Amino acid sequence: MSMPKTITRREFLKIAAGASIATGFTSAVRSIVIEPFIYPPEEELPGQATWYASTCRQCAAGCGIIVRTIDGRAKKIEGNPLHPLNRGKLCARGQAGLQVLYNPDRLKNAVRQVGGRGSRQFEPFYWPDALDLLSSKIAALSSTERFAFLGGLMPSHTYRLTSLLLEALGAAPPVIYDLQSALEGRSAVSQLSQALFGAPDLPEYDLSQSDVVLSFGANLLETWMSPVAQSVAYGAMRQGSMGRRGLLVQFEPRLSSTAASADEWVPVQPGAEGFVALAIGRIIVEERLGHVGSHQSQAVLYQNVDVRDMSAASDVPVDTLRHLARVFADADRAVAIPGGYLSGQQNGFSSMLAVQALNLVIAQVGRQGGMFLSNPGPTAALRQNPPVNTFDEVMDLIRRMKAGEIDLLLLHSANPLYELPAAAGFFEAIARVPFVVSFSPVVDETAVWADLILPDHTYLESWGYQVPSPGADRPVVNSQQPVVSPLYDTLATSDVLLGLAARLGGKLAAALSWRDEASYLEETVSELHGSSLGAYSARTPSGFWALWRQYGGWWSEKQIRREPELTDIVQKPLLIAEPHFEGDPQDYPFHLYPYSSITLSDGRGANLPWLQETPDPMTTVQWGMWVEINPETAEGLGISDNDVVQVESPHGSMEASVVIYPGIRPDIVAIPVGQGHQDYGRFAQAVIGSNPMALVAPVTDPDTGALAWGATRVRLKPIGKKQVLARLESLDGNGRESLG
Amino acid sequence: MVMDANLSVETSRRWVLVVDLDRCTGCQACVVACHAENNVPVVGEKQAGYGRWMHWIIIQRYWEGEYPNVKARFMPVMCQQCTEAPCEPVCPVFATYHNEEGLNAQIYNRCIGTRFCGSACPYKVRTYNWYAPEFPEPLTEQLNPDVTVRTRGIMEKCTFCIQRIRRIEIDAHAAGRIPADGEIQPACVQTCPSNGLFFGNLDDPDSQVSQLARGRRSFRLLPELGTEPGVIYLKGGETNV
Repeated sequence: MSMPKTITRREFLKIAAGASIATGFTSAVRSIVIEPFIYPPEEELPGQATWYASTCRQCAAGCGIIVRTIDGRAKKIEGNPLHPLNRGKLCARGQAGLQVLYNPDRLKNAVRQVGGRGSRQFEPFYWPDALDLLSSKIAALSSTERFAFLGGLMPSHTYRLTSLLLEALGAAPPVIYDLQSALEGRSAVSQLSQALFGAPDLPEYDLSQSDVVLSFGANLLETWMSPVAQSVAYGAMRQGSMGRRGLLVQFEPRLSSTAASADEWVPVQPGAEGFVALAIGRIIVEERLGHVGSHQSQAVLYQNVDVRDMSAASDVPVDTLRHLARVFADADRAVAIPGGYLSGQQNGFSSMLAVQALNLVIAQVGRQGGMFLSNPGPTAALRQNPPVNTFDEVMDLIRRMKAGEIDLLLLHSANPLYELPAAAGFFEAIARVPFVVSFSPVVDETAVWADLILPDHTYLESWGYQVPSPGADRPVVNSQQPVVSPLYDTLATSDVLLGLAARLGGKLAAALSWRDEASYLEETVSELHGSSLGAYSARTPSGFWALWRQYGGWWSEKQIRREPELTDIVQKPLLIAEPHFEGDPQDYPFHLYPYSSITLSDGRGANLPWLQETPDPMTTVQWGMWVEINPETAEGLGISDNDVVQVESPHGSMEASVVIYPGIRPDIVAIPVGQGHQDYGRFAQAVIGSNPMALVAPVTDPDTGALAWGATRVRLKPIGKKQVLARLESLDGNGRESLG
Repeated sequence: MVMDANLSVETSRRWVLVVDLDRCTGCQACVVACHAENNVPVVGEKQAGYGRWMHWIIIQRYWEGEYPNVKARFMPVMCQQCTEAPCEPVCPVFATYHNEEGLNAQIYNRCIGTRFCGSACPYKVRTYNWYAPEFPEPLTEQLNPDVTVRTRGIMEKCTFCIQRIRRIEIDAHAAGRIPADGEIQPACVQTCPSNGLFFGNLDDPDSQVSQLARGRRSFRLLPELGTEPGVIYLKGGETNV
């Protein structure tokens, strides 16, 4: 029962008093209203909020967001329902974005390190002095070749202004590298597109319309490429239309949460995923499966492939291969996806090519339910998305640093000391650089070795634009705008670059002549005004600038898919490239499988308490750091859950508690990346653990120069200690601590 | 809420949440969205290890079979908003009660922390504030002003985001209309990337949740207990041939 809102407490007491008197005279039974003495949750009155549209920057995907703000404070992030990529949806990392803004460990102003680099003794530094100091360092360089810029997930406009600055100086272009991009194989995929389709744009897979999806190590429901867009499509594939339910088959050595959602999980021998694709292709061509007509033109692709050999090398029975070939070829609409795990092997390019070739064999390139290419930016300026460099190119920079050829290093949204394999030698390299500047909003592992930290705004305080890649089913350009005023005395890195150019004068001032970053953006974005494709139209550039921010970007009203055009690479026999691994199989019997955490990603989420507290979906571990091994392997080593083991590779070692994991090959040791921070704030440092990048051999796929992060062998040694992980799951079956 | 002159309450709503297990990928987006929307505290590794975590929604994971024929299944579990709620009659101070829309509501200021409701709950979805929540500055800025911040000694649980229900209802009322089916979305439903969660009125036979509830895949958790939950699950796997 309840009271109408118009009755006050005092009136109620009067009525209640009357009622009790009344009951004294009659025998009628009546119920008494229980009035809470405070408002129950259902009677709270919501405050008035203002919503701002912007872009999520927690990963490279570029989902549209809307942010609820009250009294100038951001209160909740949600997906932008109008945005063609994520259609109102957001992942765990996107939801946690408020804690990037309100992180208690953010730098509140520019700082210089006074106790020497690595001392962690910082002193506030007046911004104009910081810019004067940096511009004098640039001016004092004996040669502009001695200037290097290392970036990670940089905002597009900051990247472009950086490129302009470096170009005007005559310095080398920025080197872009981050661990997440390496784990998802971004640069390798781009090179594959270039080879197959003559364009570097990333493929986009039409999952929602597909009846059969073969995913080769693509963790498409976790962190790979554009996980929210892919999850939206996955939901539609499962239950989106009556009477149809798509089939998902996942090939990978460890059952990921994507594999948990799949109908079939095929635990392939590491590095042999391409062999599975070759065998399936060979069977389709040989047995003339499917309904594409003749496979004659494709026979050449598989002329060297022997199905039995491929089966033996991949650990997948011939019958399974035959069954999968039939299911794949007979489907009305099917697609094969070469994922990140493939790119992390020394035969990565060959494997990815073999998988992409399956889409050719069943004629699903540029077809509904198949694969398309992402739309690039609709104008010349917007087409210059930050490219991801290869690991080889990073190693070249490290070599130059070690040789003392770099005098000034600038770092933006990159944390190479955490994200690169320790064996890559970045630590020795940075020590040789006389002056290092970081633009990180928090003190991360690399910023500790900087002379100056000039903190950029966090993304909810920033301007920007982004062409999402992989994209949506139509041309899209995201807008980013501050949803709150900057909390602290931080400065947009783009404005730092413009300030430097103005100070240095001459060619630089001419190349970067904008008053501030917002006027640069307004000019760049105005190129979109007047396009006949747009979902909205404005009469004036100012009107467009307003709508651009209100909508959270610009996109085509109609679906425009980009059909790839094939190059002649597909007329030669596909290579059968053997995988190679670092470490002798006798000494190091296991394959190391580092993987991107669904909550912490490559570690950039580790300073957000919401993400630390959120359980890993497969192990249900919270806050912790662990090593996954097969039950049989554990029995062989005589170890059980929570036993601490030492994992050792030819390049390094680390310790962590064991999680016995039923869904993993017995020859695999899987470790999530993301924990083991030495710096990066209280929440990241609260977790006991090590960074598995200490184990990874700095080897590459010679075809792409990409880091072969899955090509290291390790051994395990129990150290006779137990360290109990915090897990949502109860191992003893007693459930959580009794609430009673 | 429509009320007549005799103070009797007329309601035509029974809020239910439908969880489609065939779409759930275990991604945890709902878990974080719920923390953000409902000011759910974070307890840290040590307390989480004791099982004192505060999530209002969890994704349970079940292993089936043995390698290599092994499967893992996810099941999001939150307060089931039972029609016959075992948590309600045991509260000595009427802090947990049943409202007209079929929700089990909790009046935090009444709660004295006996934890009887948590013991009575067969779904184990109530969480208890063993300590005062900590929000190191400026993390207090993230707090949703529409939701009370609970303190030490208080029981709490999923409310179906009652503040979001009210927000839409008040806006719709001001505009002189009734909220459309699907317009009201708790934070978990709003964010779910694979569209695996649905929210709506079971008393409206045309609503999406009603249609889903009538489907062959629908079931409820521990139906033998007679709690008549307001959360309806749809089976996953190969059931939709």
